Amino acid sequence: MSGSLYHEASAQPNLTPMLDMVFQLVTFFMLVINFKSAQLDMNLKLPVIGSARPVDTKGQQDLLILNINNQGQLTVYNAPRDIDSYIAGEAQSSLLAARLKNPSLQPGDELPTTVVIRADRATPFHLLNRVIRSCQEHGFRHFSLKAMNQQAAGET
Amino acid sequence: MELNLAAMLDMAFQLLTFFILTFRPAPVEGQIALRMPPAQPISPVQSTVQAGNNPANNDPLQGLNSLVISIVPNAAGGIGSMAIGEGAVATLGGLNDRLKSVLGDQASPFDQVVIQVGSGLRYDALMGVVDVCTRQKLPSGQKLTKLSFVELPDAQTP
Repeated sequence: MSGSLYHEASAQPNLTPMLDMVFQLVTFFMLVINFKSAQLDMNLKLPVIGSARPVDTKGQQDLLILNINNQGQLTVYNAPRDIDSYIAGEAQSSLLAARLKNPSLQPGDELPTTVVIRADRATPFHLLNRVIRSCQEHGFRHFSLKAMNQQAAGET
Repeated sequence: MELNLAAMLDMAFQLLTFFILTFRPAPVEGQIALRMPPAQPISPVQSTVQAGNNPANNDPLQGLNSLVISIVPNAAGGIGSMAIGEGAVATLGGLNDRLKSVLGDQASPFDQVVIQVGSGLRYDALMGVVDVCTRQKLPSGQKLTKLSFVELPDAQTP
Protein backbone atom coordinates (compact mmCIF):
# COMPACT_ATOMS: atom_id res chain seq x y z
CA MET A 1 0.00 0.00 0.00
CA SER A 2 2.64 2.48 1.05
CA GLY A 3 4.79 1.35 -1.87
CA SER A 4 2.10 2.28 -4.40
CA LEU A 5 1.71 5.71 -2.78
CA TYR A 6 5.43 6.30 -3.12
CA HIS A 7 5.35 5.54 -6.83
CA GLU A 8 2.31 7.76 -7.59
CA ALA A 9 3.68 10.94 -5.95
CA SER A 10 5.42 13.21 -8.48
CA ALA A 11 8.25 15.56 -7.46
CA GLN A 12 8.13 17.48 -10.74
CA PRO A 13 6.07 20.66 -10.63
CA ASN A 14 4.04 21.58 -13.68
CA LEU A 15 6.10 24.38 -15.23
CA THR A 16 3.76 25.11 -18.12
CA PRO A 17 1.74 27.92 -16.48
CA MET A 18 4.92 29.59 -15.25
CA LEU A 19 6.44 29.34 -18.71
CA ASP A 20 3.29 30.84 -20.19
CA MET A 21 3.43 33.74 -17.80
CA VAL A 22 7.14 34.37 -18.40
CA PHE A 23 6.65 34.35 -22.16
CA GLN A 24 3.81 36.81 -21.81
CA LEU A 25 6.06 39.11 -19.80
CA VAL A 26 8.86 38.73 -22.35
CA THR A 27 6.42 39.54 -25.14
CA PHE A 28 5.26 42.64 -23.26
CA PHE A 29 8.77 43.97 -22.79
CA MET A 30 9.67 43.20 -26.41
CA LEU A 31 6.68 45.19 -27.59
CA VAL A 32 7.24 48.22 -25.39
CA ILE A 33 10.98 48.48 -25.92
CA ASN A 34 11.66 51.60 -27.94
CA PHE A 35 14.83 51.58 -29.96
CA LYS A 36 14.14 55.10 -31.17
CA SER A 37 14.93 56.39 -27.71
CA ALA A 38 18.55 55.45 -28.35
CA GLN A 39 18.72 58.61 -30.46
CA LEU A 40 17.77 60.68 -27.45
CA ASP A 41 20.34 61.79 -24.94
CA MET A 42 18.56 61.11 -21.67
CA ASN A 43 21.18 63.00 -19.68
CA LEU A 44 19.87 66.30 -20.99
CA LYS A 45 17.58 68.29 -18.75
CA LEU A 46 15.01 69.80 -21.04
CA PRO A 47 13.26 73.05 -20.13
CA VAL A 48 9.81 72.79 -18.61
CA ILE A 49 7.06 74.51 -20.59
CA GLY A 50 3.43 74.14 -19.64
CA SER A 51 2.07 74.35 -23.15
CA ALA A 52 4.50 71.87 -24.70
CA ARG A 53 2.53 69.10 -26.34
CA PRO A 54 3.58 65.53 -27.14
CA VAL A 55 5.00 65.02 -30.60
CA ASP A 56 2.53 64.61 -33.43
CA THR A 57 4.49 64.00 -36.61
CA LYS A 58 1.29 63.87 -38.71
CA GLY A 59 2.77 61.13 -40.82
CA GLN A 60 6.02 62.95 -41.34
CA GLN A 61 8.77 60.59 -40.34
CA ASP A 62 11.67 62.67 -41.61
CA LEU A 63 13.13 64.09 -38.45
CA LEU A 64 16.65 65.21 -37.65
CA ILE A 65 17.18 64.94 -33.90
CA LEU A 66 19.91 67.12 -32.44
CA ASN A 67 20.93 66.68 -28.80
CA ILE A 68 22.81 69.71 -27.53
CA ASN A 69 24.33 69.73 -24.08
CA ASN A 70 24.96 72.79 -21.92
CA GLN A 71 28.45 73.15 -23.43
CA GLY A 72 26.92 73.46 -26.88
CA GLN A 73 28.19 70.04 -27.96
CA LEU A 74 26.14 68.04 -30.42
CA THR A 75 25.78 64.39 -29.48
CA VAL A 76 24.45 61.68 -31.77
CA TYR A 77 23.86 58.26 -30.20
CA ASN A 78 25.78 59.61 -27.20
CA ALA A 79 28.88 60.36 -29.30
CA PRO A 80 29.98 63.98 -29.75
CA ARG A 81 29.95 65.16 -33.35
CA ASP A 82 31.15 68.23 -35.18
CA ILE A 83 28.12 70.46 -35.66
CA ASP A 84 28.71 71.85 -39.13
CA SER A 85 29.91 68.66 -40.79
CA TYR A 86 27.14 66.57 -39.25
CA ILE A 87 24.39 69.00 -40.29
CA ALA A 88 25.90 69.32 -43.77
CA GLY A 89 25.85 65.54 -44.14
CA GLU A 90 22.27 65.29 -42.92
CA ALA A 91 21.22 68.11 -45.24
CA GLN A 92 22.77 66.25 -48.16
CA SER A 93 20.88 63.08 -47.22
CA SER A 94 17.66 65.02 -46.80
CA LEU A 95 18.16 66.73 -50.16
CA LEU A 96 18.71 63.42 -51.94
CA ALA A 97 15.60 61.97 -50.33
CA ALA A 98 13.55 65.06 -51.16
CA ARG A 99 14.71 65.00 -54.78
CA LEU A 100 12.85 61.73 -55.24
CA LYS A 101 9.64 63.74 -54.89
CA ASN A 102 10.87 67.05 -56.24
CA PRO A 103 13.79 66.62 -58.69
CA SER A 104 14.19 70.40 -59.16
CA LEU A 105 15.33 70.89 -55.58
CA GLN A 106 18.72 72.56 -55.35
CA PRO A 107 21.24 72.80 -52.48
CA GLY A 108 20.14 75.59 -50.16
CA ASP A 109 16.44 75.20 -51.02
CA GLU A 110 13.99 74.58 -48.23
CA LEU A 111 14.19 70.99 -47.03
CA PRO A 112 11.13 69.07 -45.81
CA THR A 113 12.96 67.60 -42.81
CA THR A 114 12.02 68.88 -39.38
CA VAL A 115 14.94 69.59 -37.09
CA VAL A 116 14.15 68.45 -33.56
CA ILE A 117 16.27 70.38 -31.09
CA ARG A 118 16.74 68.77 -27.70
CA ALA A 119 18.89 71.24 -25.83
CA ASP A 120 19.79 71.30 -22.18
CA ARG A 121 17.94 73.96 -20.25
CA ALA A 122 21.23 75.60 -19.22
CA THR A 123 22.54 75.98 -22.78
CA PRO A 124 23.47 79.62 -23.46
CA PHE A 125 21.74 81.15 -26.45
CA HIS A 126 24.87 81.83 -28.48
CA LEU A 127 25.74 78.12 -28.50
CA LEU A 128 22.22 77.13 -29.44
CA ASN A 129 22.03 79.83 -32.08
CA ARG A 130 25.14 78.46 -33.73
CA VAL A 131 23.35 75.16 -34.32
CA ILE A 132 20.17 76.87 -35.54
CA ARG A 133 22.11 79.08 -37.94
CA SER A 134 24.00 76.11 -39.31
CA CYS A 135 20.70 74.32 -39.93
CA GLN A 136 19.24 77.36 -41.65
CA GLU A 137 22.30 77.77 -43.86
CA HIS A 138 21.84 74.20 -45.05
CA GLY A 139 18.17 74.66 -45.95
CA PHE A 140 16.33 73.50 -42.85
CA ARG A 141 13.35 75.72 -42.03
CA HIS A 142 11.08 73.58 -39.88
CA PHE A 143 12.13 73.31 -36.28
CA SER A 144 10.71 71.65 -33.27
CA LEU A 145 11.99 72.73 -29.87
CA LYS A 146 11.64 69.98 -27.30
CA ALA A 147 10.55 70.59 -23.73
CA MET A 148 8.96 68.73 -20.88
CA ASN A 149 5.48 69.76 -19.91
CA GLN A 150 6.08 68.88 -16.31
CA GLN A 151 9.08 68.57 -14.05
CA ALA A 152 10.52 65.06 -13.99
CA ALA A 153 10.46 63.33 -10.63
CA GLY A 154 13.49 64.10 -8.50
CA GLU A 155 14.46 67.21 -10.46
CA THR A 156 14.70 70.64 -8.98
CA MET B 1 6.07 11.61 -22.93
CA GLU B 2 6.76 14.88 -21.11
CA LEU B 3 9.06 17.59 -22.35
CA ASN B 4 11.58 18.98 -19.93
CA LEU B 5 10.53 22.61 -19.70
CA ALA B 6 13.16 23.65 -17.17
CA ALA B 7 15.72 24.64 -19.83
CA MET B 8 13.18 26.68 -21.75
CA LEU B 9 12.07 28.34 -18.52
CA ASP B 10 15.67 29.22 -17.71
CA MET B 11 16.09 30.86 -21.08
CA ALA B 12 12.78 32.70 -20.78
CA PHE B 13 13.76 34.01 -17.35
CA GLN B 14 17.07 35.22 -18.73
CA LEU B 15 15.29 37.07 -21.51
CA LEU B 16 12.86 38.51 -19.01
CA THR B 17 15.71 39.66 -16.78
CA PHE B 18 17.40 41.33 -19.74
CA PHE B 19 14.27 43.22 -20.72
CA ILE B 20 13.52 44.27 -17.15
CA LEU B 21 17.04 45.57 -16.61
CA THR B 22 17.20 47.44 -19.91
CA PHE B 23 13.65 48.81 -19.69
CA ARG B 24 13.82 52.56 -19.48
CA PRO B 25 10.57 54.20 -20.48
CA ALA B 26 11.17 57.43 -22.35
CA PRO B 27 9.56 60.42 -20.63
CA VAL B 28 6.77 62.12 -22.51
CA GLU B 29 8.31 65.10 -24.22
CA GLY B 30 6.45 68.02 -25.64
CA GLN B 31 7.49 70.28 -28.45
CA ILE B 32 6.97 73.71 -29.86
CA ALA B 33 6.86 73.66 -33.65
CA LEU B 34 8.29 76.69 -35.37
CA ARG B 35 9.01 77.83 -38.86
CA MET B 36 12.28 79.68 -38.66
CA PRO B 37 13.52 81.29 -41.85
CA PRO B 38 17.13 82.51 -41.95
CA ALA B 39 17.85 85.82 -40.30
CA GLN B 40 16.70 88.76 -42.41
CA PRO B 41 16.77 92.50 -41.93
CA ILE B 42 14.28 93.36 -39.22
CA SER B 43 10.91 94.68 -40.35
CA PRO B 44 11.23 94.09 -44.09
CA VAL B 45 8.90 96.11 -46.23
CA GLN B 46 6.17 94.07 -47.87
CA SER B 47 6.52 94.14 -51.61
CA THR B 48 2.84 94.97 -52.16
CA VAL B 49 2.90 98.04 -49.95
CA GLN B 50 4.44 101.30 -51.01
CA ALA B 51 5.01 102.55 -47.50
CA GLY B 52 6.99 105.64 -48.38
CA ASN B 53 5.33 106.63 -51.63
CA ASN B 54 1.70 106.00 -50.88
CA PRO B 55 -0.02 109.24 -49.88
CA ALA B 56 -3.04 107.29 -48.66
CA ASN B 57 -0.91 105.48 -46.12
CA ASN B 58 -1.25 107.30 -42.82
CA ASP B 59 -0.20 104.32 -40.76
CA PRO B 60 3.50 104.48 -39.99
CA LEU B 61 3.49 100.74 -39.21
CA GLN B 62 2.06 99.73 -42.56
CA GLY B 63 4.57 97.76 -44.55
CA LEU B 64 6.35 96.49 -41.47
CA ASN B 65 5.52 92.93 -40.55
CA SER B 66 8.02 91.92 -37.89
CA LEU B 67 7.38 92.54 -34.25
CA VAL B 68 10.64 92.82 -32.35
CA ILE B 69 11.08 91.49 -28.84
CA SER B 70 14.37 92.19 -27.11
CA ILE B 71 15.62 90.15 -24.18
CA VAL B 72 18.67 91.11 -22.19
CA PRO B 73 19.90 88.39 -19.84
CA ASN B 74 21.00 88.88 -16.26
CA ALA B 75 24.23 87.49 -14.83
CA ALA B 76 22.61 84.12 -14.07
CA GLY B 77 21.38 83.68 -17.64
CA GLY B 78 17.78 84.45 -16.75
CA ILE B 79 15.70 87.26 -18.16
CA GLY B 80 17.13 90.59 -17.02
CA SER B 81 14.87 92.87 -19.02
CA MET B 82 12.47 92.56 -21.90
CA ALA B 83 10.97 94.98 -24.36
CA ILE B 84 8.52 94.90 -27.23
CA GLY B 85 9.78 97.47 -29.64
CA GLU B 86 10.68 100.31 -27.33
CA GLY B 87 8.19 99.43 -24.61
CA ALA B 88 9.64 97.56 -21.65
CA VAL B 89 7.73 94.67 -20.11
CA ALA B 90 8.60 93.31 -16.69
CA THR B 91 7.26 89.76 -16.70
CA LEU B 92 6.19 87.01 -19.05
CA GLY B 93 2.60 87.73 -18.05
CA GLY B 94 3.09 91.35 -19.09
CA LEU B 95 4.64 90.18 -22.36
CA ASN B 96 1.65 87.94 -22.98
CA ASP B 97 -0.82 90.80 -22.35
CA ARG B 98 1.10 93.18 -24.56
CA LEU B 99 1.40 90.66 -27.41
CA LYS B 100 -2.31 89.89 -27.15
CA SER B 101 -3.20 93.54 -27.48
CA VAL B 102 -0.79 94.12 -30.37
CA LEU B 103 -1.52 90.97 -32.37
CA GLY B 104 -5.21 90.87 -31.48
CA ASP B 105 -5.80 94.16 -33.23
CA GLN B 106 -7.43 93.45 -36.60
CA ALA B 107 -5.31 96.19 -38.15
CA SER B 108 -2.12 94.66 -36.86
CA PRO B 109 0.44 94.36 -39.68
CA PHE B 110 2.60 91.83 -37.84
CA ASP B 111 2.78 88.22 -38.93
CA GLN B 112 6.11 87.24 -37.45
CA VAL B 113 8.17 87.92 -34.38
CA VAL B 114 11.88 88.57 -34.26
CA ILE B 115 13.38 87.82 -30.87
CA GLN B 116 16.62 89.65 -30.19
CA VAL B 117 18.42 87.67 -27.55
CA GLY B 118 21.50 88.39 -25.48
CA SER B 119 24.12 85.71 -26.03
CA GLY B 120 24.15 84.55 -22.41
CA LEU B 121 20.43 83.84 -22.07
CA ARG B 122 19.73 80.29 -20.96
CA TYR B 123 17.63 78.04 -23.16
CA ASP B 124 14.92 77.57 -20.53
CA ALA B 125 14.47 81.34 -20.19
CA LEU B 126 14.28 81.67 -23.96
CA MET B 127 11.72 78.89 -24.16
CA GLY B 128 9.54 80.79 -21.71
CA VAL B 129 9.40 83.68 -24.17
CA VAL B 130 8.92 81.37 -27.16
CA ASP B 131 6.09 79.69 -25.29
CA VAL B 132 4.33 83.02 -24.77
CA CYS B 133 4.82 83.93 -28.45
CA THR B 134 3.52 80.66 -29.85
CA ARG B 135 0.36 80.96 -27.76
CA GLN B 136 -0.59 84.12 -29.63
CA LYS B 137 -3.03 84.20 -32.51
CA LEU B 138 -2.74 86.45 -35.53
CA PRO B 139 -5.71 88.54 -36.70
CA SER B 140 -6.25 85.87 -39.39
CA GLY B 141 -6.96 83.36 -36.61
CA GLN B 142 -3.81 81.36 -37.28
CA LYS B 143 -1.35 80.69 -34.55
CA LEU B 144 1.89 82.60 -34.59
CA THR B 145 4.59 80.16 -35.69
CA LYS B 146 6.99 82.38 -37.62
CA LEU B 147 9.79 83.30 -35.28
CA SER B 148 13.35 84.35 -35.88
CA PHE B 149 16.20 84.69 -33.44
CA VAL B 150 18.80 87.41 -33.63
CA GLU B 151 21.78 87.39 -31.32
CA LEU B 152 22.45 90.71 -29.66
CA PRO B 153 26.08 91.79 -29.68
CA ASP B 154 27.88 91.37 -26.37
CA ALA B 155 28.13 95.13 -25.94
CA GLN B 156 24.37 95.25 -25.48
CA THR B 157 24.34 92.56 -22.83
CA PRO B 158 25.72 92.87 -19.31
